[in-house]
Order: sequence, then structure tokens, then C-alpha cells
Amino acid sequence: MTRRSRRNRGAGVGAVTALAASLAACAALPPMPPAVPDDIVPSIAAPTLAADDEERLSPDGFDAVQRMAVRIRNVGCGNLSTGSGFAVDSHTLITNRHVVAESETLQVSTYDGRDIDVATTGAAALADLAVVRTRDALPSSAALSGADPEQGEEVTVVGYPSGGELTVTVGRVIGTTTDPLHENLGEVLVTDAAVEPGSSGSAALDSDGEVIGVVYAKTGDDRSLLVPQSTLNELLADDDSFAEVDPC
Amino acid sequence: MTAPGSPWEPTTTSAVPPADGTTTAPPARGRAARITAVVLAVLLIGALATGGYLWQTTSAWQQHAADWETEAQGYAEQVATLRGELEATRAELDATTEQLDTATARITELADEKAQLGDENVASRQYLDYQRRVSEAAGVVATALGQCTAAQSQLIGYLNNREAYDQADLERFAADVEGLCDEANEANEQLQSELAQ
Repeated sequence: MTRRSRRNRGAGVGAVTALAASLAACAALPPMPPAVPDDIVPSIAAPTLAADDEERLSPDGFDAVQRMAVRIRNVGCGNLSTGSGFAVDSHTLITNRHVVAESETLQVSTYDGRDIDVATTGAAALADLAVVRTRDALPSSAALSGADPEQGEEVTVVGYPSGGELTVTVGRVIGTTTDPLHENLGEVLVTDAAVEPGSSGSAALDSDGEVIGVVYAKTGDDRSLLVPQSTLNELLADDDSFAEVDPC
Repeated sequence: MTAPGSPWEPTTTSAVPPADGTTTAPPARGRAARITAVVLAVLLIGALATGGYLWQTTSAWQQHAADWETEAQGYAEQVATLRGELEATRAELDATTEQLDTATARITELADEKAQLGDENVASRQYLDYQRRVSEAAGVVATALGQCTAAQSQLIGYLNNREAYDQADLERFAADVEGLCDEANEANEQLQSELAQ
């Protein structure tokens, strides 16, 4: 092979190489832009409430704790007293036995001033508790907690101290003690939540809004005494626990 | 390279026609030049095509960027509008929440006022019942005491003229008067009991 033919072949190879390189470079060229989309806003579903949350929604700005509380006026034979109570279902109220005692009529009103007709009243013999059945439906009700509270646990009391405005007070569970008034079998709860006469029958709630006790008295050092929910649960489970209260 | 001092002689090249008289291949330098020209032409065409393509692509991307900018400006305006609406809605929500708090507080006050009025109403009714019972008892006492004093006066009159009456009748009448006065005393005790409440 002569030098010239080698040179020719080299030129050919160079040309092919150049062409190949040019073609390879074409791959690196930028593509044409795509069309701009008409709408790039992602479609997001509107937020919806879960069924449980919807039930917790207040229809009128009052929360469930306030809506389940009732004021009880005991019109006796020549005397008048007031107490508190709370709903455990649509037609059942829980309060204290001494709130409904010696009554000619019981007058129940709700957080917004509506009057509720009372059907029957039953009082427990073994604890300062009473059950009031109503003809009218109650606005809201509370669930009973499955366990009694521990010491130090937060407690919320909702009721009508001194027969006044609906009031919510907060405190902590101090412990348990034997009932100094001898009105209840077993131990009762002691809390530092402030109560007054008229708070009797108020619901004491835990941080989940479940009933842990029923206020029935206060001590000399301004502590409140509660009938624990375990006692209430036991009595509610026994149909014979509550005897009908006769009018005075 | 020739040796120094030797005369220059051209060397034999392949351009010399072969002895058999057939056509000869073009000179290698010319062919290389042609190949080079072809390659250059191809490269030129490629470069021109690439340039044209790049120009077209650049124009398209410029238009694309302009479209996106227009789109982005549209969305930015929408965002600004929505932000304004959101702020207005938040302010409205705050005001509504405040109004709701005021309304619930007022409802609680009204419920309490109604309850207090109910208590006062019951207390007034019970007081009126008490007053009625006291008035009735006072009336009974007054009547009984009047009957007692009248009977005692009558008895005194009989005793002043006791010879005119049968002794047994006088004793029976005195016992009746005593009974009347006992009833008056009982009525008075009931009244005192009501007053003590």
C-alpha cells in the first residue's frame, strides 16, 4: 500500500468520523418545547369532616360540656332549692339524691334556658345519686368513663354554683377518702375544683370529656367531693338501685 | 531528499499511464481534495441545518418561556386576589367568632336571668301561699277567740243569775265554752307555728 492510498484512506476515515461525530452531536441538541398547558392548578378535594368530628360540632357555639349540663329547681313544700345535673342519654339525667329530695315538683332547664319536662325521678339508697327521666329530649349527653381517675388527673366540673350562671371550673384529683357525710358506700373522690351549694349533681369530667364522678358536697377546706363513676355505673346497671321519689 | 550536489530527477509516479493503454485513476491529491470538499460540504450543510434547528428551537423556547410567564402572571394575579379574599374571610371569621362568643355569653346571661326570675316567681308564690295560710289561720283564731269571749260573757251573765237556771245546764254550758276557748287556743298555736316558719 502506497503512502498516498494510506492518506486517502485516512481522509475517508476522518470524514466518516466527522459525520458520525456530527450525527452524535445532534443527539445533544435541545428538543422543541412542549405546549404550555391551559391549566396547571391541581384539583384538590375540598376538606371534609369525619363523622365523629361532625358529631362534636357545636350547633350554636356552646360545646358539648355545656350543652349536657342542666339546672334543677326543686320546688318543695314551702321551700325552694337549686342543684345541677347532667345528661347521660337523650332522656336521662343524673344528679344527687339530696337535690331531688322533699320535692313537690322538679323544674329542669338547659344551658340556653329551655325548660325540660320531667317524667319520673328515682333516688338511690346506697349513694347520693338520683336519676331523672325527662319527657323532652335533652340537647347533649356525656359518656361515662370506664375507669376512676388517678391522683393528679385533671378534672373539669360543669354546673350551676349557687344557682347562678352555668360555670365550668377546673381542678385536679387529690385522692380518695371515706365519705365524711356517710351518704355513700365505699370511697369517694376528693378534688380541688371549686364548687358551691348548687353545684351538687354537677358532672366531673376527665380530659376526654367523659364523666369520672358526680359532685355531691364540699369540704371545709374548699375541696369538692365526688361520687366516683364506678359507683354510678354499678347503680345504673342495677334496675332496682333507684326507687321512685314520692312528692312531698 | 536528494543527495547534495546531485541533479534533480523526477521520480516515477503512478500518473504515468500504464503500458497496456487503459485509463488511469485520478491523482490521489485530487481525490482527497474532492473527499475533503464533500466532507466540508456535508459538514457545512449539517452546520447550517443545526443552526437552523437551533434558531427554531430557541425561538420556540423563547415563546414557551413567554407563555409560561404570561401564565405565571395570571396565576400570580389569582394568588393576590385569593390572598386578599383569604384575609377578608379571616377578618370576617374573627368578627363572626367574636359575635358568636358575645351571643353565647348573652344566651348564658339570659338563661340565668330566666332561671333567677323563675326562682323569684316560685319564692313569691310560696310566700303568697304562706301569707294566705297565715291570714286564714288568723281569721280562724279571730273567729274562735270571738266565739270564746262571747260565750264566756254569756256564761258570766248566766252565773250572775244562777238561781234562774238549772245547775246541770250551767255546767254543760260552761264545758261548751271551755271547749270553744280550747279550739281558739289551738287555732292561735297553729298561727304562731305558721308565723314561726
